[in-house]
Amino acid sequence: MSGRRSRSRQSSGISEDQINDLIIKLQQLLPELRNSRRSDKVSASRVLQETCSYIRNLHREVDDLSERLSELLANTDTAQAALIRSLLTQ
Amino acid sequence: MASANKPINTDVPEKDVFALHFLQSLSNLRRQNTFNSPEKTNDRVKKIKKVAYVSMARAAGGTNRLWSRALLRRAAKENNKVVRFPRRKKRVTCLRRRRSNRRDPVEEEEAERLRNLVPGGGGMEISKLMEETAHYIKCLSMQVKVMQCLVDGLAPK
Repeated sequence: MSGRRSRSRQSSGISEDQINDLIIKLQQLLPELRNSRRSDKVSASRVLQETCSYIRNLHREVDDLSERLSELLANTDTAQAALIRSLLTQ
Repeated sequence: MASANKPINTDVPEKDVFALHFLQSLSNLRRQNTFNSPEKTNDRVKKIKKVAYVSMARAAGGTNRLWSRALLRRAAKENNKVVRFPRRKKRVTCLRRRRSNRRDPVEEEEAERLRNLVPGGGGMEISKLMEETAHYIKCLSMQVKVMQCLVDGLAPK
């Protein structure tokens, strides 16, 4: 209300509840922790750790799939037909 | 700036949006004859990987997300292109997060590791970082699914 500075100080007062909500949301996205019961609360640091390793896994999968795609797409004749086929059967 | 009452939305578009962007980029690559040159496999792989990330960023909402903006900016810089993004209404101010003394449930050290993994994470405060992370993870897994489908479809029967 009285300028930017006070507003930014207010925003750093994000409630702990909100952060805990976000942590639960993240937890539900992680395949490792998704199945654990909500009652045994996973610690925030564990969620962050799993998040980091999950992101690294996904990056690695993108790398692998890029390599395989590169090989498969190298042969353009068959690739063209196959691409159209896979598009239609999505 | 970051109002505490705003609902946090981490929805991602449907899979076919990602598929469409990725396929468009792939056909662009083909038009540039990327797939015809027998040598330079590494270059080809790198191009495909880059295209995967860029098309994912575009499919996920382009400039509406901090991570996708950072990704697109990084990619454009590699191409030596100057990118102008439309001015957002709310600027993400680089908060002096190191000075915050409040006891966080989240350790800053681990948040730092996350910041290094999520594009654009360096300037975000914790709650924004986690929101962006959730969206980033969803988009990444969508992109992986799309690429997996493509690989399965192209694999010789």
